[in-house]
Amino acid sequence: MSERRCGPLGVPVVAGPEHLAPGLGERLGRPGEPPYTRGIHETMYRARRWTIRQLAGYGTAADTNQRLRLLLDRGATGINTVFDYPSLRAFDSDDPRAEPDVGRGGVAVDVTADFEDLLRGIRIEDVSVSLVSSQPIGAVPHLAMFLTTANRRGVPWSALRGTSQNDFLMETCITIGPAALPPAAAFRLECDLALFCIEAVPHWNPVSVAAYNYREAGADIVLEVALAIAHGRAVAEALVARGIEPDRAARAITFFFSAHIDLFQEVAKFRAARRIWHDVAKRHVGCRDPRSTRLRFHAQTSGTTFTTALPLANIGRGAIEGLAAIAGGAQSLHVNGFDEAFAIPTEQAATLALETQQMLLHEAGIGDSADPFGGSYLVEHLTDQIEEQVQETLAVIDAKGGIVEAAETGWLHEELGRRAYEDHLALGRRRALAEDDHHDDRGDIEVFTLPSGTRDRQRARLEETRAARDADEVRRRLDGLVIDAAAGRAVMPTTIDAVAAGATLGEIGTALREALGTWTIPVL
Amino acid sequence: MDDPCPLSRGRVLLAKPGMDAHWRGLGVVARILRDAGFEVVYLGHAGADEIAGAALDEDADVVGLSTLSGNHIEATRRVLATLARLGAGDVQVVVGGAIGRADARVLTELGAHTVLGPGASSDEIVARVAAAVATRARAFLAADVATVAGSRPLPIDQGENG
Repeated sequence: MSERRCGPLGVPVVAGPEHLAPGLGERLGRPGEPPYTRGIHETMYRARRWTIRQLAGYGTAADTNQRLRLLLDRGATGINTVFDYPSLRAFDSDDPRAEPDVGRGGVAVDVTADFEDLLRGIRIEDVSVSLVSSQPIGAVPHLAMFLTTANRRGVPWSALRGTSQNDFLMETCITIGPAALPPAAAFRLECDLALFCIEAVPHWNPVSVAAYNYREAGADIVLEVALAIAHGRAVAEALVARGIEPDRAARAITFFFSAHIDLFQEVAKFRAARRIWHDVAKRHVGCRDPRSTRLRFHAQTSGTTFTTALPLANIGRGAIEGLAAIAGGAQSLHVNGFDEAFAIPTEQAATLALETQQMLLHEAGIGDSADPFGGSYLVEHLTDQIEEQVQETLAVIDAKGGIVEAAETGWLHEELGRRAYEDHLALGRRRALAEDDHHDDRGDIEVFTLPSGTRDRQRARLEETRAARDADEVRRRLDGLVIDAAAGRAVMPTTIDAVAAGATLGEIGTALREALGTWTIPVL
Repeated sequence: MDDPCPLSRGRVLLAKPGMDAHWRGLGVVARILRDAGFEVVYLGHAGADEIAGAALDEDADVVGLSTLSGNHIEATRRVLATLARLGAGDVQVVVGGAIGRADARVLTELGAHTVLGPGASSDEIVARVAAAVATRARAFLAADVATVAGSRPLPIDQGENG
């Protein structure tokens, strides 16, 4: 039977029983049962809908608060807020290096008062909050400011539900920025945050493995899953090594995957990822309770598949990719705005993306039956192929010494860069719709523009905060943070102390960089 | 047999101004240019002073700036101004990233040689950078070499027919 190669996978012209290896029944199980190939709940979305979690963040905290509340008013069921570039890297908005990017790509935050503004009018004891901090150096102070906000509102930490996107690969390989921490140090901060939450914020997901971004940075479908599993395993093992019971350690890990454009491959990917994580959590982490081996994930439609030419066609791409995520069993979803290739979404694009989710939920019937593609010759064949190739890649990463070493040596950067280049060359041959000569329309749509005054507002607030605080006390607590971080002690309690005394995000970042050092990212 | 010492089509310094975190595009462009015979120096994240200083130190014909955060106008203005201040106004600046048509016009009016947006093909990237190398060579020759460029060697112009 002829097969077409499609990236790393073989896609048969017609799939049939000859494509299924023996033992399919054991590889599948039932939904809600090990190995969870078919989903983590018995009845999937009939029991529990996915969370409509549209990403938002731009300008000041007050600007973003408006967008968050608009999305909630229109039917979003979770918060998903992303920070601007300087905030992800823990720089203050008035740092000269930060200035051109203040409020860009996310919301500017410098002090706890910004978190209070960001969440104004939103009941954080009722709605789950995903903090897209990305990098441990940002995730640590962001969570400290979020928890301080809860304290000021009188909300106990045990009532908080949500997620920190807290991923050392984001800091060292996937996204880049000035003055990155070395991989081992960033990994340690990531684990520190997780250890703290296991003790103190029990319903918080302290690690969300940002596989979405691995894919966007160049990974193919196999490498996306392999890096995610290798990373999740490394964190869980590190937590066990620091005294956490294996089942609890595994439950601290959640995942964030890409929902790319090839519908059947993507559905197969989510199914394969669940099966592999079940296996890894049992065999390597040492879980005894099968429920601890369930892979829970948020998905986002793929920004790199969206084009600037024919921008309205991206609405269709978002629907197909969202369908892939839901048919694949996602717990939570963001659909990109159709203007994703230009900038962050306008209000119109953001609400249209939300409505796409509502269409998937209420009209398309995708959630009525668990694992709707289960048993399809094609999807099972793809699921098996992905599983096999991911296991092979996991063995390669093991041979490198693990995921931290794979980052340190630059192997990962080379893999991503090479695949991104191959993908670029292949795209030239594939001639996507948008690049067709007959559709040479770069698209004249309204594109988001940053509200003016973001930088001035942030600068003013920083000045207010610095003037009102006890400077000696802040200095003492920051010094304490440097000492603790350098000595390898837990950083969250000290960070919370410093933030509560009025330390700024950039001061926390400076303290951590001073204690842990910086690293030149081997991009090329 | 490969030429052991092939002629370079020009020296290109690639940098990310500001704090934008995306590197996929710039990494792809670096490989495209390398494979096409340019000498590529990857600087990574840097401020305008560092970028302009490195352009001089590396004797770059072209500075390629990549940014997807939306900071492109401010970042490019800073780099162009710094190059001019250092007497290296002949070094051409090519900007790539998530940049719409209106902003692309603004950037070329500011003095950027070329703006490459999403979806640019390898051929287009190579042709535009080669043209920038050629423009730099002409600007270099036209300028008062003694006061503008010190002792920097002449770049080789192969851009338009090479």
